[in-house]
Amino acid sequence: MIKLSDSAREYLDRYLQQIRTYLRGCKTVDADEVERNIIEHIDSELEGATAAVSLEQLDAVLKRLGSPRQWIPEEELPWWRKMIFRLRTGPEDWRLAYISFGLLIAGFVILPSFIVLIAASFIVARAALSEAGDPSELKAQKWLIYPSLIIVYSFVLFWLLAWPAFVFTAAAYEWEHNFRSSTYLQFADDLCYWTVATSFIIAGLGFWWMILGGLLLRWRSFLQVLFKPFAAWFSRKWALILLLIGLGIMIPSLGLGICYGIYGQITVL
Amino acid sequence: MQRYILADMNNSFLDNWATQLRKGMLELCILNAIRGTSLYGYDIVRKLRSIDGLVIGEGTIYPILSRLKREGFVQTSIAESKEGPPRKYYELTAKGQATLSKMNDYWQAIKTGTDVLKGEQTS
Repeated sequence: MIKLSDSAREYLDRYLQQIRTYLRGCKTVDADEVERNIIEHIDSELEGATAAVSLEQLDAVLKRLGSPRQWIPEEELPWWRKMIFRLRTGPEDWRLAYISFGLLIAGFVILPSFIVLIAASFIVARAALSEAGDPSELKAQKWLIYPSLIIVYSFVLFWLLAWPAFVFTAAAYEWEHNFRSSTYLQFADDLCYWTVATSFIIAGLGFWWMILGGLLLRWRSFLQVLFKPFAAWFSRKWALILLLIGLGIMIPSLGLGICYGIYGQITVL
Repeated sequence: MQRYILADMNNSFLDNWATQLRKGMLELCILNAIRGTSLYGYDIVRKLRSIDGLVIGEGTIYPILSRLKREGFVQTSIAESKEGPPRKYYELTAKGQATLSKMNDYWQAIKTGTDVLKGEQTS
């Protein structure tokens, strides 16, 4: 090994460290062998130096060798290095996709921050979606973007469809505990009360679906934007089907609740 | 002339194209450099240096040599050196020779086809 000045030695150590860092995990290449070859290359280049090699002399050789970062094609890097590489140097859309996926994973790992991290992951995923423009251009990125979109969309869809059930159930509980005994309508027992209440809750749900179907008949693009890119198929036909299902649920449930009340157990004081 | 053309590649499209072309060409040139002989890694680099525009970072050659060795296209042997410590020499294996022959045929076919296309344009 040739004799190096202290500054050149430090510089070479940093360079060799870079080689180890960039080649680590690359299965197609033996990182130790490459490092040995590079040392031999530097020895050969500086062979014949009479005094200790200066930083400038070494720098000229290392410049010709180039940055180890550029030695391995991206497709040969292990997945985690590709991820870091794309985060640092990749196009904006890939960076966003990786950040979105990273936040999602972090959300599952750091459970106390689950909601915040999933929300952040969702926002970044939507940004990546906007960056891509046409969702069909996403290609492999969709595997990184879609998980957080699906989680948030499932949650939003559930509440969009089911919120009246929760609101009316809460109202029925409230009414049972605070007003049931003080009204003119008296129920024979709790079963009677909850049978009628459930009928009206389901009827309320059907009513909401009917309204939602009607609104989406007029503004279906709202749903397509809200659930982009999964709701592109949603046409007026599906809005009409939702409206009819709502109607189909509301009428029998309302009828059942009224009939049960009239012919059953309710006494009007 | 060739040096002038490559120096003019400040356009990102051309840069990208040249990078893609170099990737495959480097392997072909390394294998051809050691065809029928055995060379020390640094000697391979020196040989390839003479091809203008082929080697941008000389270090690129060593991971390729390592990969070619892993894939069984080249083998190494250690030999004593007059100048210093023992050196590692690379030479083609039988598999490497057969593959190189096919690679050269393929490259020749592409080059011939390209030349024909260029000829059609100029005539």
